[in-house]
Amino acid sequence: MDFSFTEGQDMLRVSARDFLAKECPKAKVREMARDDRGYDPQLWDRMTELGWMGLVFPEEYGGMAGSFMDLVILMEEMGRNILPGPFFSTVALCALPLLEYGNSDQKTKFLPQIAKGEAIWTLALAESSGTCQASEVRLRAAPAGTDYVLKGHKLFVTDAHVADYVLAVGRTGGGESPEDGVTLFVVGARAPNVKMVAIPTIGGDRQFRVSFGEVTVPEDNILGKMGKGWDIVDFVLQRAAVLKCAEMSGACQAVLDMTSSYAKERIQFDRPIGSFQAIQHKLADMLIDAEAVQYLLYQAAWGINVGSPSRWQISAAKAKANEAYQRICIEGIAAHGAIGYTMDHDIGLYYRRVKAAQFAAGDTDWHREVIADGLGL
Amino acid sequence: MDFRLGEKELALKEEIRKFAEAELPPDFVRNTVIDGEFQDFEFEISMSRKLARRGWLAMSWPQKYGGRDASLFEQTVYEMEIAYWGIPGAWMGISGIQWVGPCLMMVGTEEQREKYLPLIASGEKDGVWCTCYSEPNAGSDFANIRTRAVKDGDDYIVNGQKVWTSAAHRARWCWLAARTDSNAPKKHRGISILIVDMKSPGVTVNPILNYYGRHHFNEVFFDNVRVPASNLVGEENRGWYYLMQSLAFERRSLAPTTYGACKRILEDLARYAGQTEREGRLLSESPLVRAKLADLAIDLEALKMCAFQLAWRISLGQIPTYESSRNKVMSDELTKRVAMTGAEILGIYSQVDPDSRWAKLDGAIQGAYLGFPGQAIAAGTAEIEKSIVAQFRLGLPKSY
Repeated sequence: MDFSFTEGQDMLRVSARDFLAKECPKAKVREMARDDRGYDPQLWDRMTELGWMGLVFPEEYGGMAGSFMDLVILMEEMGRNILPGPFFSTVALCALPLLEYGNSDQKTKFLPQIAKGEAIWTLALAESSGTCQASEVRLRAAPAGTDYVLKGHKLFVTDAHVADYVLAVGRTGGGESPEDGVTLFVVGARAPNVKMVAIPTIGGDRQFRVSFGEVTVPEDNILGKMGKGWDIVDFVLQRAAVLKCAEMSGACQAVLDMTSSYAKERIQFDRPIGSFQAIQHKLADMLIDAEAVQYLLYQAAWGINVGSPSRWQISAAKAKANEAYQRICIEGIAAHGAIGYTMDHDIGLYYRRVKAAQFAAGDTDWHREVIADGLGL
Repeated sequence: MDFRLGEKELALKEEIRKFAEAELPPDFVRNTVIDGEFQDFEFEISMSRKLARRGWLAMSWPQKYGGRDASLFEQTVYEMEIAYWGIPGAWMGISGIQWVGPCLMMVGTEEQREKYLPLIASGEKDGVWCTCYSEPNAGSDFANIRTRAVKDGDDYIVNGQKVWTSAAHRARWCWLAARTDSNAPKKHRGISILIVDMKSPGVTVNPILNYYGRHHFNEVFFDNVRVPASNLVGEENRGWYYLMQSLAFERRSLAPTTYGACKRILEDLARYAGQTEREGRLLSESPLVRAKLADLAIDLEALKMCAFQLAWRISLGQIPTYESSRNKVMSDELTKRVAMTGAEILGIYSQVDPDSRWAKLDGAIQGAYLGFPGQAIAAGTAEIEKSIVAQFRLGLPKSY
């Protein structure tokens, strides 16, 4: 067994951390929460120059030929710093399935655009219940000649307002199980009859209801096989769960670090509050939570990295992160006292983002069910 | 990065499974947390001998001391599997394998190593150890010990009282912490470690029954006990550092053993839930039961990763500072939750005497319920461990 990263991975982590600390200070995070676009295109360009968009693409598509683990490291640092914007939507939710399931035309057309920072993508999966169950997919995709006509609504679609393309999960048929007859379509986000209504969230990120009012999509825009789209959704959910978990892991470490620093500086009763066991033990609990998330994350990511993903390990990591990230924020705010409850302090930025992270790529109950199945229950 | 077990570890796992099937009696009821060790010492030591014959008992020690130079990863897997199958006899009085041997290899003399290590690795009664640390006024505040060892010619003369000494009633040897310098500027600087023959005149062992009536620990009195000066371990007055190291060794093995024991209980609980109906439906169909068992499985997996992460750090030659304490907190918390969740699943049967024929799952849940408060105190309370994590990992100021 080996828990070490490669030298290149250590360098990637350090350079990403330094870059984000400099280019995306918390003032920028706050500004972007009020900004119409919700991200800074200039920062996006600089990230593109660093090769982050196509980090895991082969060179033929303008990528850096990095590994999945590299992406995990990068997203851990993005989470540590709270990078606002459509990186997760574009890369985790859409580029990875394009790379895996796209035909050569699709890959040649779409991947270089993403690698060059010229296209933003998002995935439209959830409907009214907001879960990621196949039975919830109702967006109708009816054949019309060689085209399909999409009609229905999708909810909680991230960054849809700035997206160039939406990967829409539609229903082209039925079958014995709800997984049958699901098909994925690449839809131009500015196509006629695609309407977006913002769903304001407590996290300051951007989520939308996307309505497809009879949107015509050519057959060529089907990703993967007709009716077999759930395989792709499953593929996306596994990777997205790990990458979201990476963001959350970085955020856990950031909250732990800021709370630990505060406990050393804040003087009450003539002593740093970090000398009190009540505070020490709270911080020890936070650390134990944060490290549990990290090692479950690395195990799950490693499985994907070597081509044998474990559904069980992925769900263990995401379920743990869902609970730990929330607990760490709550305990961290408590250790800060009233200052932690203010707009001026950074810790609230992390706390407000817990809910969006928890429900991305499977909530805790959903992942617990995967674990329960694995136990033979 | 690589999270696979190696071929050696996988083969070992399989060998231990076969060993458990072949060597445990058909009516064997596995060890539970409440026992800590087996009530039947003859049976326990018979298993120690069998483990020794396989070369497993002290596997990570060098061959010349009775080991087989196994890696710490093999050792970790071994500890997990021994606990999973509930195989008794693996510790030689708890202390022998886990910290006496490793500490002697670090700071003992060659003569001490040659004398004691092969004896421990043999699995014979003369290789069973106890550790005398705690005293009535020195629990968590351990540097407060008063037992004194005064030099007298070629001997030390030891006087004092120890308490909570596991396995003292079976041990041939004692790993003793005693004060050798009463005038040291700081309390912890005047402590030394001595090896004491438990058959020495002046050693008295009295049983202390735990709240469930089991005899696990003891009080030990030393009344003018003569100990040869050659039994001093390492340097005089440096004992504090050796015993901190010994506690780190002890806490290291807690995570693998807790993982193994809890994994077995979790599997048994899952099977029980799949076979047991309550209010007209299988327990395994209850969303609440499913969620509770899933949560246990997740934290069990986290403990496994942390156990291997610590083994990995040590295998790099690094000296871990806080990981053993982190793992101890996680282990104790998990055992407690297994006990609580298990009892919720067993329902009214969770009150049945673990030795009764009425007991479900061999009484493992009751064993955990009765045992976890003790396990959580031994080798450092949660409060002490969390303070270590806060101070050594997070750099917070000393709190006591």
